[in-house]
Amino acid sequence: MDPTTAMIMMAGIYYGAKYGGSTTSILLNVPGESSSVVTCLDGYQLARQGRAGAALGIAAISSFVAGTFGVLGLMFLAPPVAKFALRFGPPEYFALMVLGLAMVAFLTGTSVVKGILATLVGLWLAGVGTDVFTAQSRFTFGRMELLDGIDFIVVSIGLFAIGEVLVNLESKTGGEIFKIPKGLRNLLPSLQDLKDSRFAFLNGSVVGFFIGILPGAGSTIASFLSYGLEKAVSRRPDKFGTGVIEGVAAPEGANNSETGGSLVPLLTLGIPGSSTTAILLGALFLWGFRPGPLLIQENPSLFWGLVASMYVGNVMLLILNLPLVPLFAQILRVPYFVLYPIIFGISIVGVYSVSQSLFDVWMLGVFGLLGYAMRKLDFPAAPLVLGMVLGERLELALRQSLMMSQGQLSILIASPLSSGMLLLAGILLLIPMFNRVRSWRVKAIEQEL
Amino acid sequence: MIRKLTQWIMLLGWLLTIPLGVSAFEPTKTVEGVVHTAPGGGSDILARAIAEMLQKEKLITQRLQVVNKSGGGSAVAMAYLAEKKGDNHVIGFFTGVWVTNPLTTKEATVTIKDLTPIVRLVLEPAVVAVKADSPYKSMKDFVEAAKKNPGQLRQSGGSVTGRDNLVRLVIEKATGAKWVFVSFPGGGERIANLLGGHVQMMVMEPQEAGEHIKAGNLRVIAALTENRLPFFPDVPTLKEQGIDVPVIPQARGVVAPPGVGSDVVSYWDGVFSRFAKTPSWKKYLNDNQFEDGYLTGNNLNKFFDDLTVQMRDVLKEAGVKVMR
Repeated sequence: MDPTTAMIMMAGIYYGAKYGGSTTSILLNVPGESSSVVTCLDGYQLARQGRAGAALGIAAISSFVAGTFGVLGLMFLAPPVAKFALRFGPPEYFALMVLGLAMVAFLTGTSVVKGILATLVGLWLAGVGTDVFTAQSRFTFGRMELLDGIDFIVVSIGLFAIGEVLVNLESKTGGEIFKIPKGLRNLLPSLQDLKDSRFAFLNGSVVGFFIGILPGAGSTIASFLSYGLEKAVSRRPDKFGTGVIEGVAAPEGANNSETGGSLVPLLTLGIPGSSTTAILLGALFLWGFRPGPLLIQENPSLFWGLVASMYVGNVMLLILNLPLVPLFAQILRVPYFVLYPIIFGISIVGVYSVSQSLFDVWMLGVFGLLGYAMRKLDFPAAPLVLGMVLGERLELALRQSLMMSQGQLSILIASPLSSGMLLLAGILLLIPMFNRVRSWRVKAIEQEL
Repeated sequence: MIRKLTQWIMLLGWLLTIPLGVSAFEPTKTVEGVVHTAPGGGSDILARAIAEMLQKEKLITQRLQVVNKSGGGSAVAMAYLAEKKGDNHVIGFFTGVWVTNPLTTKEATVTIKDLTPIVRLVLEPAVVAVKADSPYKSMKDFVEAAKKNPGQLRQSGGSVTGRDNLVRLVIEKATGAKWVFVSFPGGGERIANLLGGHVQMMVMEPQEAGEHIKAGNLRVIAALTENRLPFFPDVPTLKEQGIDVPVIPQARGVVAPPGVGSDVVSYWDGVFSRFAKTPSWKKYLNDNQFEDGYLTGNNLNKFFDDLTVQMRDVLKEAGVKVMR
């Protein structure tokens, strides 16, 4: 196989899999990828309301729009943007992770305290495993399986998919859990949906791309950030989590735009930002390329071949997926006594396949029960997942920063970039409180009247 | 997702293989190749390249699937191998960390001597790099600056027991200079932090540095070898710069779990002795500016013994607490 063709194929798989994660999230509440956890929040609710087709459709359209933006970014902005990414040292990463954690303000349901508690549990779970700096094992209880930490996918599938099934098993009615989509109108997104998602397309594109260019930030953070941003600027933030279309469009867009972004450091500097791009880097080596700052200059056909293929891939995603959306949505016609065992089966196989470990399957059960308990006690699951995703890098960045400054905390706000992000995080955390105070005042005024 | 990609690469390689069988032991299913780094780390890239070449040269009949067991320096991967005692379908890709990590880490109870040595394939040279616009023209400059402002200069690197940190420890010991070592688990971030000016110096492989030097981003100020490197004929060694410290080798190769049969050892011996002579391996060594480090059997055992003693001394000298 010609190396360019091979690279195109691998990038294509990378690309397609990114989109694929949304389907199971929306239909079954099973996040196949860590980056599609946020998609579950509103996507699955839409499916329950009989709007699975609209959710799947908007995911495809948003992926297309943002994915194209990502490629355009890669094409026109790669070198200057890569320079910008280099300004991110450990203190800036720390600030970015704090900014990500501030998103918890937008992921909590009724109680902020419960959201924060869930985040803390997530941060603690991220601490399980081997300390990177001193090789000490933490919270492993002597289990080899825990030395590597808890796999993120085990937690998210347990909390979301298994927890959801357990909660639904309880309902004795046994009746219809999903409204079955009726008529063509409900099979694809409506014009109103597209209008509602206007900003989400832009938000997902930009956030995804810029998170993508930062080595080590990752698409999960991109999806959480764009969801939070979408909710922050939304005119109906209270409806998020109950099935709003832009709550699917933003993270799914970010997720795909991130692909273009993550290729920027790889192709312009030879620096892989994620484990997936690291595999692409390995492949480049294998095919005799020298990834580095001269790659594009010395192998223009590889670079432009890749860019062209990404355009084609984007269009293909749309062409392949839109007609299939009504078909996928039909899965909801399957009666629950058939569907639930299938969800259990998919979840167990999926988790087992991550590292062929039965221990992980048991952990899936534990997190499934935790998910059930959290649902019953009205604890939001997304903040826990967020804490877990960000925890590892947060700790890493904080400790690296403090190593650099020899313990001086001031390094965290020394650069305008990091202090800016920390400030933004503070503002984001305060927004829901302002809203609360305002609604409280409105209520008080109404009562007086 | 990552698995899918890996599997595709594997499939591509596998499609090219034709069964070939003479040896007494033959793998009958997919062989796991355990590495201690995440995908993209040095060990991972090498292991994937070797797997690809073994299949391309039709030296193995089964797939060699790279399995990433990162964590705890190399403790997780080594413990995994120890757990696979007697398993004929597992091999591990060792590096120098597999020798040093158990010395300094209490929890890392498996040592390289517990595993079954197969072959040493690579000796990796290293250089010291700084940004092209940095004021340090030689390692001497850097050391002087570090002496003037102790703890102000920074070096990016990997694990604290890795070669890059050991190099710092021996130089600090020999010169009295002090600077900070910042660990980054991913190789990419180490270079990114150097290019971004967040750290001032990094120990890297010549191949890593090569492209950035060509592009005018980095400058190499010292060769960490006995003799000057053929690719950097103008860069003096540490000894030439008056910094008299032992050269710390970075070796890479293959081990098997404890308790595998001698037929298994001789099978891999045969595979790698043929492999080391293939043109694709020779080309790979040259492309990556590696030294051919082919060594097997008792000589490899002796190498591990000697290296353990040397590392223990280096670590003790540098004031690191040695556990065993």
